[in-house]
Amino acid sequence: MSVIVDASGLSCPQPVILTLNKINELKKGEIKVLVDTDTSKENVSRAAESQGWKVTDIQSNLTGYEITIRK
Amino acid sequence: MVEWSSGREKGKKKVSFLGFLKPKKEKRPPVSGQDRGILVFENTSEVIRAESLLKAEGWKIRVMGPPPEIRSGCDLVIEFPLIEKLRILRTLNKAKIQPKEIVPVIHPLLQPVDLFQIKDFGRYLMVRAANMKLTVEKDTRTIVNVSGGGCPDVPYLAKEMVGKTLSESPVPRDIGHTLCGYALQLAFEETTRICCL
Repeated sequence: MSVIVDASGLSCPQPVILTLNKINELKKGEIKVLVDTDTSKENVSRAAESQGWKVTDIQSNLTGYEITIRK
Repeated sequence: MVEWSSGREKGKKKVSFLGFLKPKKEKRPPVSGQDRGILVFENTSEVIRAESLLKAEGWKIRVMGPPPEIRSGCDLVIEFPLIEKLRILRTLNKAKIQPKEIVPVIHPLLQPVDLFQIKDFGRYLMVRAANMKLTVEKDTRTIVNVSGGGCPDVPYLAKEMVGKTLSESPVPRDIGHTLCGYALQLAFEETTRICCL
């Protein structure tokens, strides 16, 4: 089951920090991160990959992006 | 036979009248308020290279914002001791760095935008310098985020630095070529300083 991290509307580096906090909490599993800018999408993806998680999906919608990461 | 005196006392150096007036030349004089010049370059990459080179050679220089009357070149200039102009130019020429303009300082220079903003997020620390932000995990000193600016090398800088510790990471100045890279260098240095306290 996915855990959702809603980082939309937050300024850098908060989306990354929220994602990393959840990664550290869960250790493994699936997380869906919601962001609303291209920059946050790139930063969150990069941060997740640097922690050994994989970006399995990125969905674009009206409000931004939903990034799915998994380990 | 008369031994002519040449005007010198035996064993002493000849001292000219002007010798008393000649200022004592220091090897690397600090930049003072009265005898400064500025080097203007075509782009920020050259400023960064010139700064690295001149500092490595021991010159006390400063990177600053250009005065209002300088409209050409990039947004950064190098302030240098004017008395060292020829030697500095020789050093730059050897490295094939050609300043666009060299002018004496006659107006107050703009202060560089190097004010730091530091934000503590508990487990993470963010340091912002100008338009660039660097965020590290405090315990491990691992860089978790690099962002800001709009320069084309920012994604590359982020890719090279995120996931690495401050000591493992490449130094932004060595891999960046823009004002964003330079600002990130400031953030990197300040973050390193804070984390080493």
